[in-house]
Amino acid sequence: MLKLSGDKLRVAVVGFGKMGILHAGILNVLPKVQLVAVCEKSGLIRRFMKNLFRNVSVVDDVDELSDLDLDAVYVTTPISSHFAVVKSIYNLEVASNVFVEKPLASNYDEAEELCDLALRLGGVNMVGYMRRFSATFRKAKDLLNQKVIGEPVSFSAYAYSSDFFGIDENSKVHTPKIGVLRDLGCHIIDLALWFFGDFKVNNAKIDSLIGGDSEDSAFFEVETEGGVSGKFDVSWCVDGYRMPEVGFTVEGSRGVLRVNDDKLELSLNGGERFRWFRHDLRDGVGFWLGAPEYYREDECFVEIVMRGGSVEPCFETSAKVDRLIDEVLVRAGRVE
Amino acid sequence: MSSQGKVLLVGDNPFHGISHLSQERSRVRGDTPTNPEYAARLIGLSVENGADGFMFSVSDTTLLILDVLRKNGNNDGLRLYAIVPYAYEYVRLAGALGGVPGLAKKLVREIVFSGNFRAVVSGLNGVIRSDLASLFKTYLLYEVSRVRRSAGDKAELESVLLHQLITDLCLGLGLDWVFKFYTGFLLKRGITPGFNTGNFALLVKKLGEWDINLEDVVIAAPFNNVGFQMVPSKEECEKALAGLPKPNVLAISILAAGYLKPEEAVDYIAGLPNIKGVAVGVSKERHANETFKLLRDKLS
Repeated sequence: MLKLSGDKLRVAVVGFGKMGILHAGILNVLPKVQLVAVCEKSGLIRRFMKNLFRNVSVVDDVDELSDLDLDAVYVTTPISSHFAVVKSIYNLEVASNVFVEKPLASNYDEAEELCDLALRLGGVNMVGYMRRFSATFRKAKDLLNQKVIGEPVSFSAYAYSSDFFGIDENSKVHTPKIGVLRDLGCHIIDLALWFFGDFKVNNAKIDSLIGGDSEDSAFFEVETEGGVSGKFDVSWCVDGYRMPEVGFTVEGSRGVLRVNDDKLELSLNGGERFRWFRHDLRDGVGFWLGAPEYYREDECFVEIVMRGGSVEPCFETSAKVDRLIDEVLVRAGRVE
Repeated sequence: MSSQGKVLLVGDNPFHGISHLSQERSRVRGDTPTNPEYAARLIGLSVENGADGFMFSVSDTTLLILDVLRKNGNNDGLRLYAIVPYAYEYVRLAGALGGVPGLAKKLVREIVFSGNFRAVVSGLNGVIRSDLASLFKTYLLYEVSRVRRSAGDKAELESVLLHQLITDLCLGLGLDWVFKFYTGFLLKRGITPGFNTGNFALLVKKLGEWDINLEDVVIAAPFNNVGFQMVPSKEECEKALAGLPKPNVLAISILAAGYLKPEEAVDYIAGLPNIKGVAVGVSKERHANETFKLLRDKLS
């Protein structure tokens, strides 16, 4: 049962870092949403936020959201806290509809427990794998579904950024403890699951390029349930990637498909070639903040909460990403 | 120099290695335009062929370019449109420095060591009172002084524009006070306040609702024949443009990030009302010559 203000969904954002701010900005312009509260641990940020917002409650703990009659909560805290925060939201019945920024949890055990809780308590649940809402990847999914390149035989995927390129061990810059796989690599694992279905990890290698025990690059090979072989290459230390970029090359029985954040190329065995940029793929949205896919993702979640039903990627789908990352870490000898 | 009063500006995206068509293209393009000496040469060539000035995000790279232009005597009468803050760099730094607190520490250090007394006092005031307006003022004073120091007295800082990410974030969050404060603060200092936005139609509507005089500001927004990045639609943006009280829009992304041929792009812009000027990035000497000759000829 929704607790709407008028005809608007009452939403809170937990964690006001860059992703929290971004979602809050988009949610606030969606006509069916009222941003009711923001929850943030940092006292400094809270102090400034109280001066910033006039009609939004600013609190420091999820407990304090319980009395606000919320319809939905966005969790955009650091990844390591997703489990505890989402668990509290469900246990305290803060709201039954929950959106969590990617990835769902820090490991598969946590992800599984959150799936059980979500199933038991109902409501809509979604994880912020926003590239499923990107114009290029959506077109790629359509073409793969239509078997335009025939049956997929193999694929290679990359996720690169220059966030820590040129950083050495003595630098004051710190890489996220969660590691490059959960921070960046999770996107291509999610997309591969979406494109090809579930898979198992055959071998994996993880390197510390910056030093210490940091997890900076990963390479692993997989095989899907349908027999498609795949390779993944992930790193946040690659030059030339001012913005993180992910991409796939898919070899099929009738051609090759190449897709990344900017464009999609198709080469068919008969010699035909096609290319689409975002410009060609109806990439328009109602409000542009960050990238169009964030708007579409939020709009989709809100629509489903209002209308009822389920949305992808849900917790259960996204838990598979956490399971596969755990498998890669085991195969690479990072965990037992 | 340009005719018909249209301001022709060199954009800085290629100097940061940015291509909005694809990152791959900027990687392939190589690192030549990111060299400040070369970038300054491209700006000089563009000016020789009709450009009036330079539109840039304030960063170490663009400040170095301004330094070179000043030292080479190419800053005389150069019209500057500075965009602050260089949001993507700050977002990247926040990630690498442990979030907003780490970034704030770095910025505080830079402002203190800049020796800008007014900025430091205003900043202290802001921290003590948790007053965002004072901190914002501190930041603006710091950035304006950095630009003026690098560009020299002969260049003219016509406008300081709020970066697209910040404009649109504040727009989304409905922070009308930011727009009012920013406009008032810069007008008092004789600088035209500007907003770089990806949500042109909504911004125009909101500025009107918030009683901000549209004649006092400039707006930089995408305008191109294919509607690339024109939100919520090409039609809505054109309608909002037609409703403005005077030409105060700087059209950006006119080539739709290299998707359109320059002739086609410029024909579209020439047919629009209320365009104050355009900003176009150039990455090669040939581009600088041809693009600004074309802009000068077609927009006259």
